[in-house]
Amino acid sequence: MKTQAQELEAATVALPRFGKITYTAEDVTAFPWGLPGFPSLHRWLILSLDSQPAYVWLQSLDDVNVALPAAEPWKLFEDYDPKIPAYAYTGLEIADAADFTMLCVVVVGAGAREMTINLMAPILVNLRTRTARQIVLDGSNYSSKEPVPRKAAGQA
Amino acid sequence: MLVLSRKINQSIMIGDGIRIVVVGVDRDQVKLGIEAPRDIPVHRSEVYEEIQRSNRSAADAPMAPSTGAASPTRLRAGQAQLRPRKK
Repeated sequence: MKTQAQELEAATVALPRFGKITYTAEDVTAFPWGLPGFPSLHRWLILSLDSQPAYVWLQSLDDVNVALPAAEPWKLFEDYDPKIPAYAYTGLEIADAADFTMLCVVVVGAGAREMTINLMAPILVNLRTRTARQIVLDGSNYSSKEPVPRKAAGQA
Repeated sequence: MLVLSRKINQSIMIGDGIRIVVVGVDRDQVKLGIEAPRDIPVHRSEVYEEIQRSNRSAADAPMAPSTGAASPTRLRAGQAQLRPRKK
């Protein structure tokens, strides 16, 4: 059982994209199922950049070369309201709306001009347990390649 | 890969909890019914593969110009509502 002091002990990691980052155990989000395409990467940081307020970066701690940009979908699409299947909630022990949030992966095209966001497979994050899972909404009307609105893209 | 032939209405058990039934056959299309525990996701393969590709592309994002520090962020509860569970 970790003492509180051990829980808050800081670790440092050198990241190819972001340089040296300091973090504690509380900053680590577990992805027990990995991510489609990265099934064996289970420990991630969620980082934000001062220069990119609308976005976060999912940074793998198991492979520091892997980092994916993402965004909270409601910041770009106010009405985003996907039907999440029950298994997604139970698997992450989410019982309350206050327990969780969602992130959607952003794909940046060459030249960083075109961006699309994957609204068809949101990542559910249990904020209480710091665990997350990407949920594939096969059959939903949401696109896996929704263009990011130009105005928002300019803030990237 | 295990290959089994089934007629309409015949089914296959996978493990103890997953059942795949041939519900219908129409020319070159087979309609399959899947019974699985609620905690096991079921997807069309091409959709799942698309998500894999999309994640890998996302990880190939061009380097953003570094103008400021990156730090672990503390997310807050989102706008999603929990819907009552449907049977």
